[in-house]
Amino acid sequence: MTKEFPDPETLLPLPTATFHILVALADRDRHGYSIMQDITARTDGKVRLSAATLYSSIRRLLEQGLLEELRESPDPDCQDERRRYYGITGFGREVAMAEARRLTSMLSQARETGLIPKKM
Amino acid sequence: MFSARLFQSLLWCFPAPFRHEYGAEMVRAFSQELRAADGRSAAAAVWLRSIFDVLTTAPQEHYHVIKQDVRYALRMLAAQPGFTAVAVLSLALGIGANVALFSLIDSVLLRTLPVRDPEQLVMLTDPDSRGHRNGSQTDERSLLTYQEFEQLRDQTGVFANLMAVQSFLERIQVRINGSEPEEIRGQLASAEYFTTLGVPALMGRSFGSADGAKAYVAVISHAFWQRRLAGRADAIGTRLALRRGTFTVIGIMPPEFFGETVGQHPDVWFPMDLQPVVLPGRDWLHDDPASLAKDIWLHAIGRLKPGVTMAQAHSATSTVFQRGLEAYYASAPTEQARRRFLNQQVRLRPAGAGASSVRRSFGQPLTILLAAAGLVLLIACANLGNLMLARATARTRETAVRLALGAGRGDLIRQMLTESMLIALAGGFAGVAAAWLMRAGLLALVSSTIHLPLNAEPSVLAFAFGLTMVAGLLLAVLPALRMMKVEASAGIKEQGRGMTGSAAWLRAGKVVVAGQVALSLPLLIGAGLLVRTFQNLQRVDLGFSRERLLLVNVDVETAGYEEPKRQALFERLHARVAAVPGVRKSTYSRHAPFMGGDAGDEVLVEGYTRKGDDDRGSAYDHIGPNYFSTYGIPVLMGREITDRDHASAPRVCVINEAFAKTFFAGRNPIGMHVTQIFGPQRNTFEVVGVVANSKKRSLREAGHRYFVPAAQPIDVPNSIVISVRTAGEPQAAVAGIRRAIAAEDPNLPVTEAKSMQELVDSRTQVDGLLAQLSIAFGVVALLLAAIGLYGVLSYGVARRTSEIGIRKALGASEGAVIGMILRETTWLMAGGVVAGVGLAYGSLRLIQSRLFGLEPADPVAIGLGVAALGVVALIAAWLPARRAARVDPMVAIRYE
Repeated sequence: MTKEFPDPETLLPLPTATFHILVALADRDRHGYSIMQDITARTDGKVRLSAATLYSSIRRLLEQGLLEELRESPDPDCQDERRRYYGITGFGREVAMAEARRLTSMLSQARETGLIPKKM
Repeated sequence: MFSARLFQSLLWCFPAPFRHEYGAEMVRAFSQELRAADGRSAAAAVWLRSIFDVLTTAPQEHYHVIKQDVRYALRMLAAQPGFTAVAVLSLALGIGANVALFSLIDSVLLRTLPVRDPEQLVMLTDPDSRGHRNGSQTDERSLLTYQEFEQLRDQTGVFANLMAVQSFLERIQVRINGSEPEEIRGQLASAEYFTTLGVPALMGRSFGSADGAKAYVAVISHAFWQRRLAGRADAIGTRLALRRGTFTVIGIMPPEFFGETVGQHPDVWFPMDLQPVVLPGRDWLHDDPASLAKDIWLHAIGRLKPGVTMAQAHSATSTVFQRGLEAYYASAPTEQARRRFLNQQVRLRPAGAGASSVRRSFGQPLTILLAAAGLVLLIACANLGNLMLARATARTRETAVRLALGAGRGDLIRQMLTESMLIALAGGFAGVAAAWLMRAGLLALVSSTIHLPLNAEPSVLAFAFGLTMVAGLLLAVLPALRMMKVEASAGIKEQGRGMTGSAAWLRAGKVVVAGQVALSLPLLIGAGLLVRTFQNLQRVDLGFSRERLLLVNVDVETAGYEEPKRQALFERLHARVAAVPGVRKSTYSRHAPFMGGDAGDEVLVEGYTRKGDDDRGSAYDHIGPNYFSTYGIPVLMGREITDRDHASAPRVCVINEAFAKTFFAGRNPIGMHVTQIFGPQRNTFEVVGVVANSKKRSLREAGHRYFVPAAQPIDVPNSIVISVRTAGEPQAAVAGIRRAIAAEDPNLPVTEAKSMQELVDSRTQVDGLLAQLSIAFGVVALLLAAIGLYGVLSYGVARRTSEIGIRKALGASEGAVIGMILRETTWLMAGGVVAGVGLAYGSLRLIQSRLFGLEPADPVAIGLGVAALGVVALIAAWLPARRAARVDPMVAIRYE
């Protein structure tokens, strides 16, 4: 059964939490707490996702087909059966990339107008 | 560990599906985060953030679940458009009827006046009273005189404002800016009227104390301005010429303002001081101590001063009122009479809902109808609930599969509830629209003179919403109960013959049908009682024939005839009317049957000793010659009043049978004397005749009464009713009679011209409406119960096709099969009927006061109700039974 996905552009702009989750899953599959840790680490603690926001977002991303739940742990050393692991789907990756492009374009517009220095 | 548990309990904020899916994960993630926190403040930050997040995300998750449920329910409903349409339509009708009736009850009984702070208003008179009474009253005063009002206004000191207003509307012929005369509804109001109610004029101003005693000014209603003056901006200054003067319109009231009386809608308000101009011929503003008879005709409404309690106000009002009575009745002829006159009290009550001309006559019938409509809705909900249950049963397999896949039972019930709520909401919306039409229709059926403003009142909308929610819940109860019982494995196993679910539905369905039968029986019996009451009232023996009898009321006081000239005028008018072509016989009287007015006083009867208070007084009437022969009331003894009982002849009277029975039991009344007493007034008459009883004011009873010649009056009548037996249709004679009266004096107002049939019909209108609507509700209930029964039996027969086939194969005849099905129906019915008769017995006492000529346990009504139910049930059962009887054994067994 193939599922039809909408044009990624229609989902933009993504909520901040959503984008962070997709970025956290871009390089590897993770379980929930690992996603929270990754986001905190990457943002130097500026963005901290709580469990409620995380799983509410995960529920929506799963429904939208941006994430998928993995049947088994991606880490052969850690086979905790109770843990649930999530990975980004192809469509999720497309959406994340579209959002990244959108943000880049906004950033360059800000540069053009001199709001931020051209070289940082 | 403790933290984890605490966090876990926080997760109850989330909907169950989300909690089941992610709860454990969330607790784990939270615990790890808490462990990683460095120090107490970091831990506190984690807690705070988590709590805040739970509280903000939980509503989103709930919204998501509801959205999903609604989408699913809409899909399910769209998949069965027939069921959905039937369900929505029947709920729309049921809810519509209930809302329409509630809205009328709200207007008549519950709503507050559209005036400033209505809850602060107090009323010194009886809100349900109206009219004019000349004389006195014992116990609680229903209305006040103008002088009593003045005393209370000036001497009590407890009212910030107190106003008086005419308790009835006066139909007055008016020339507007010099045009042809036309009829308006006018009302006299004291100078404090508008300030007390606190409603400013929409345009111009209202009148008040500043206008002085003799300002010929008038205020008109918004509806009159729109209807008659086309809403023109220059309407202020319009001249209204009437009776004894010309008034100038100085203000227009806002559209929602209808005065102080619910159900009335005056066109014009006139200043009370100008009563002699608007209601000429008599001084209604001053109590005449010489006669001891007061003109009691006003409502009084006030606003208490800040800080004054109801009890203080009552005490102050009573003191002033009693003082006034003592001064007024000081000249009473005897101490006993004086004491009786002083036995009058004013009672204060909250006046937020205003006075009402319709509360007494419509309050109870509307409440009865609302109860009936409520029962019909309940029966309709039971039917739909049964259908929903059948659907839920059909979906048992799906339910079981979903349960097996991990769906919570609560989720499934919630989805069922969403479905029934959606049906109910659609029905509720359509019902409110239907209610608007039904309300207008009901009002049109009842009367063209009652005006009740229609607004989207919050109370009515709240009622509609509440009813919709209840209906939604009722629909969901049965299927939800069913779902509670489905085993995750049962439905999957249920195939072909293993129809455990269907058997369960059949059992529940039968109980529901028996319940419907039980509920519809009180409606049917009640309808039977009300229809028979209506028939009894229509057929009631008035004591005279109502055929071709026309009554014409002429107001001679307004036309300015002084008392000494009136009797001669009556005789001339009577002679003129008698000469009109088409008039076979005619007579006249002060009052006439069913025309509204009446008179009564204390009587002293020769040779009779009083036994109590009930035989203290009697009603009486002034009549012209040949009254009884014109009406066809049999003279049982002696003679009737004729031409020879003129002013200078000996004073005589005729008594009715009831009077003779009360006062002359076992004696011959002819030649005995009856004395009327009021204060110093005494009039003695010799009894010359006894006539049969006839109905006068009420179709339900005829009291004792005596009749004196109009030429020998107790009080000279200020208006008379000319009663005419016509050769043809009564209304055909009206024009000729009007011409004859105008030929005597064109200024003589004919205030009413109606046939006796019309007058009697107007008395039975409410009973007729009640009978018609209760029959309608009864029939609907009966049909719903029949549909329910048909559905359950059809299903039962379909389920037993194979069993019936085997029975037939073994030699059962068609008759035996039909008998088997009908026997089952009989048991079902018997249970319902027994419960229904019990219900009816308990509930129908409530309508006892409306019944006439029969008791709530009327065997005919009960028999008819049970028989109607029986016949309809038999038809509903016959169809599936016949289908069962025609089952082909071979086909049925092959089906196995």
